[in-house]
Amino acid sequence: MTRSRLFAYGVLVIGCVFAIFPYLLTVLTAFKGPGQLSGTLPWEPGLPPSGAAFDRLFASGFGGYLANTVLVTVGITAGQLLFAVLAAYAFARLSFPGRDALFWVYLSTLMVPPVVTMIPLYLMMQKAGLVDTWAGLMLPTMLGTPYAIFLLRQFFRTIPADLEDAARIDGAGRVRTLLLIVLPLSKPILVTVTTLAVVANWNSFLWPLIITSSEDKRLLSVGIALFKGEIGVDYNAVMAGSLIALAPLLVLFIFFQRFIVRSVAVTGLK
Amino acid sequence: MLRAAPRPARRTQRRQQTLAGYALLAPSMVGVLGFLLAPVLIVIVLSLFDWKLLATPEFIGLANYRELFGDADVWHSFLVTGYYVLICVPGTTILSLLLALLVNRKLRGMKYFRALLVIPWMATPVALGLVWAWIFDPGRGAINQFLGIFGIDGPAWLSSSLLAMPSVAAVHIWQFAGYNMLFFLAGLQNIPASLREASSLDGASPVAHFFSITFPLLRPTLLFVLITNVIGSFQAFDTIFVMTEGGPGDSTEVATYLIYDEAFRKFDFGYASTISVLLFVVILIATISQFAYFERRTTYDFS
Repeated sequence: MTRSRLFAYGVLVIGCVFAIFPYLLTVLTAFKGPGQLSGTLPWEPGLPPSGAAFDRLFASGFGGYLANTVLVTVGITAGQLLFAVLAAYAFARLSFPGRDALFWVYLSTLMVPPVVTMIPLYLMMQKAGLVDTWAGLMLPTMLGTPYAIFLLRQFFRTIPADLEDAARIDGAGRVRTLLLIVLPLSKPILVTVTTLAVVANWNSFLWPLIITSSEDKRLLSVGIALFKGEIGVDYNAVMAGSLIALAPLLVLFIFFQRFIVRSVAVTGLK
Repeated sequence: MLRAAPRPARRTQRRQQTLAGYALLAPSMVGVLGFLLAPVLIVIVLSLFDWKLLATPEFIGLANYRELFGDADVWHSFLVTGYYVLICVPGTTILSLLLALLVNRKLRGMKYFRALLVIPWMATPVALGLVWAWIFDPGRGAINQFLGIFGIDGPAWLSSSLLAMPSVAAVHIWQFAGYNMLFFLAGLQNIPASLREASSLDGASPVAHFFSITFPLLRPTLLFVLITNVIGSFQAFDTIFVMTEGGPGDSTEVATYLIYDEAFRKFDFGYASTISVLLFVVILIATISQFAYFERRTTYDFS
């Protein structure tokens, strides 16, 4: 092995340790008992492992937060995918007056930061009586994001129109061509869009914090942030809560790592 | 309904396409026009009102803006935000470019290294903030315990008004360096290998090659990475909310935190909207000036 190769591996290993270390620490701390936290160094495991922190968490309603987060993430992501696909298909394949102008309007909303829209959105939801409801929580984002529509539209345009024309001559309608021809050819971009949506929806914090107040609609991100305020620095429980929030995406990542790394890189450019 | 009739006249066909187009777009038009575009216009209108939670809204023209410009808290929070952006953006960009150069090498097992480096990107920011707060804990946290091995008495990272901001910014860099690395990596892989061969035939050193060939060719990627990071870090909220709550004092009270505080703790929607408008304008100016700067320079495209 050459010296430069050895050097490269050395730097890579250090970089990866840095990237993974906080996760490792979360796992170690979450499984320590109360006495083990002060008795061990942070990077030492507490032996024997203790599930006490998780018991405390689930006793204070974390099971419900977890279920809520899963359902809301699945619901919003499904909605975003469905409505973004429909919109992108219209932009890519149909011609009608106002199409291009409308597409530019959609693109321009890419620049709108969520912080700027949160106050008007809250007041809109208040007027509609949707504060602290599932609809209020999910509605603003589940009708399709401009970014997903943009990525899908760009991809749909690369699919030869001849394929669809052939299917249509055979008598397939628009919906069937979309389902049977366009979507199967668009798997890579669908993986990308789904990944970005799942990560964003699972992690979202500011909107759920504002729009929900009752405990039965609380999401994990809000749950752990408020939990910290209630119990102070009980690091075992806080780390156990963080682990519950971090683990599902990590598991998904391990399974789909190959696709995700490839798919993230195709966004943004071209 | 969406099925085309066997041999329709041209006009009906066109009308059908228009109908189909708008039918497909209807849900997303509610989302994009109703929940993204309309709020931008509404927030501007709100900023012209004295709009407190229970009182009747009252039109006050530009009074909120006059108050804004004399408000030391607002100035301070925008300075703090700028400081945060100035640490995060160069830090993330430089680190991710260096990582990309490293993982672009053809070594065994490289795809696993790449994957590991990307993992922090998907971490829930709130959970992550709590984990880092534990790492930064002055007494028992990992950093100070580690420093203790060498006999160094580590500082109280998050409760020092000098160190709190760099610590919080370090978490941002940690989270996004690997993710942005992927964009630079894609950019590097778009550069034809023949250019590398040509310049090494000319006797160029790797460093010279990087600055005169590679870096200029990465400009479109650089623009993308800079813009997304500037926009993102101007809106920092989640990690700061759990790590420092804007403190100690107001040393990490970034603009988003101030807006949240004014709107949802003090319920002063009018004034909070005014600060939002200012933040939006600042983000727009920052974005446009980056485009303008890159526009003036030549870019190269090999695709």
